[in-house]
Amino acid sequence: MPISLDRLDRVLNPSAVAVVGDKRASGYMWLNSLKTFEGNLYSVQVDPREVKGIEALGVPNFASLTEIPEPIDYVVCAVPRKIAPIIVRDCIAAGVGGVTLFTSGFAETGEDEGVALQEEIGALAREGDLALIGPNCMGLHNPRLGVRFHRDQPHGQTGDVGFISQSGTHGMHFSLVGATRGVVCSALISFGNGIVLEAADYLDYMAADAGTRIIAMYIEGARDGRRFVRSLRAAAARKPVVIWKGGQTRAGSTAARSHTAALATDQAVWEAIVRQAGALSVESLDEMIDVVHALQRTKPGRGRRVALMAMTGGQSVALADAFARAGWEVPRFAESTYAQLGEFFNVIGGSYQNPLDMAGTIMTDRAALDRLLDLMADDPNVDAVAMEVSATFAAQRWERDPEELAALIRSLQRFRERSDKPFVTALHPSYVEAAALKARDALQEAGLPVFPSFERAANALGKSAALRPSLNPGGAG
Amino acid sequence: MSDSATEAGTDRVAEIFAAARDAGRQLLSEVEAKAALGAAGVPVTPTRLAAGAAEAVAIAGELGYPVVLKVVSDTITHKSDIGGVELHLDDAAAVEAAYGRIRAAAEAAAGAEAFGGVSVQPMAAPGAEVIMGMTQDPQFGPVLMFGLGGVLVEVLKDVAFRVVPLEPHDAAEMIREIQAFPVLEGYRGAPPADLAALEAILLALSEFAEAHPEVQELDLNPILARHDGATAVDARIVLTPA
Repeated sequence: MPISLDRLDRVLNPSAVAVVGDKRASGYMWLNSLKTFEGNLYSVQVDPREVKGIEALGVPNFASLTEIPEPIDYVVCAVPRKIAPIIVRDCIAAGVGGVTLFTSGFAETGEDEGVALQEEIGALAREGDLALIGPNCMGLHNPRLGVRFHRDQPHGQTGDVGFISQSGTHGMHFSLVGATRGVVCSALISFGNGIVLEAADYLDYMAADAGTRIIAMYIEGARDGRRFVRSLRAAAARKPVVIWKGGQTRAGSTAARSHTAALATDQAVWEAIVRQAGALSVESLDEMIDVVHALQRTKPGRGRRVALMAMTGGQSVALADAFARAGWEVPRFAESTYAQLGEFFNVIGGSYQNPLDMAGTIMTDRAALDRLLDLMADDPNVDAVAMEVSATFAAQRWERDPEELAALIRSLQRFRERSDKPFVTALHPSYVEAAALKARDALQEAGLPVFPSFERAANALGKSAALRPSLNPGGAG
Repeated sequence: MSDSATEAGTDRVAEIFAAARDAGRQLLSEVEAKAALGAAGVPVTPTRLAAGAAEAVAIAGELGYPVVLKVVSDTITHKSDIGGVELHLDDAAAVEAAYGRIRAAAEAAAGAEAFGGVSVQPMAAPGAEVIMGMTQDPQFGPVLMFGLGGVLVEVLKDVAFRVVPLEPHDAAEMIREIQAFPVLEGYRGAPPADLAALEAILLALSEFAEAHPEVQELDLNPILARHDGATAVDARIVLTPA
């Protein structure tokens, strides 16, 4: 019998959590990470040398899961692999909702004992209707409830991105790096070997979860490929799905007697699956966070013609090249736009074809930026707008007069409110890194999208704008 | 096709596969592969087996000139490399002479045992050469491929894949996904290819793959895409190990 989505919902939104087998040697990593958990936290540890340290953390310790005096929704199990079947049996006996098996040393080792133990715990969990996550994984992260597996993961915040990861490290980095970009999870699942619940189950869950607006996923392979395709298609029909496929290594069949079999590499087939499902394919953690950031913060795509706003001639060319390479057109503006630009644009050291080389215009006249943005909002040849925010030029001014950055942000927010066109900013490059980070955080806090390079802005805006408008969640924000 | 026609087609395909299996073969001959695909609704040039020169001439007369002769052999895989393909044969004398040349070439290249007669088919009207194919992915099952055809397909790798079953929009998208798509839209004065006909073939292949999981690999290379239709002029089917 498959594990129900309700059961998974209970585990991801627990009232009581227990950690089995946390140790001093790991710095009590699980109990320390879960300090922020808003419900009741328990420990199970029988080694007297460990119990003292656990009690010093203020966490009540028990000798067995079955002795804890309340129902446990979620268990983290960090015991050696030989003990794992005992703990899985205890979970079932105690009516636990689900368990993360941090423990590794199972089928991923390729050795007989590991494979046999994995089969044993898998059968136990399926029989006992236990939502078993892993083994060989980091388990769950729910920032709203403070459920964490790393002590720097966010807590006390409600995010909207459901992240599913076959790798614990990529799950951890998505939550840590994402948080610096304003990308916070509704739920994060690191599922490792995925023996009872696998990628398709988690996709089904995220597709149904009301708190998840965007689904992001790191995957290396699916156990049941056809079921994965069905779940991916169903999820991507409801919400944006961004997929990073790792380990694209299988070559075409060398024994093939047809061109088709020779050309059907792992990578070619995965790309086809992602396209066919209407999901977005990315190739790295940074790209994944960029695309999610754009999906959260830009309005639905309308077309491929972009207006570019830069601070110098050199940056105008670089910005135009970056967007053209990412598949954008950089069109001429409408004649009426040029007529109005002619009234106030400072062409000494600037120009207003497209890109707008605008430093000379906006740095002497604060209201000029609003006029430029209004023209971009109204120009019928423009589907999207991208703007350079230059820390190089502005760091000293922002330092002297913080109001200057605040005014810039107000102008950008004003544009966002009055225009339906997707809009992004790029902070690039910045030798004044501290000032650039401050500006990034200020832009992000204002809900604006900001990228560390023109190329990353162009790519993320391109991918997010390619999504069906009905699925683009930025439209509601 | 109506349901009963589909059923009759499926039965015919099963017969062809069973005959090849009985003969201990996984690789179907061109004649068998085209018969199976034709029964499944894929447009192929009508192709028949001739065991001698007189039979080749008789078949050519029925199919209509000009015709193409290709060597039939269990052991020769690259037919044109050994002189096993003769195009543009306009009359009985040309067919008779070509039969002799192909037989001699095959026997010289691979021995008398290798020659199993010739296939005879009408010369297809010219068009843009595209390739379609299917293979079984170990994780995801049957996968279809579309690309520009010809001998450079494995070098250029300008192909698109989709997992079976295909929806009509999948067929439309994969054709438009390849780099060389402008060639099919009418390049340098050539008329645009009949994209609807190509989409229909992809959807027929999707159904064929679903109905016949015993097909391990399949190539239609080339399919000639004209402005009014498209026809597969060569076909290769490999069955799964028995």
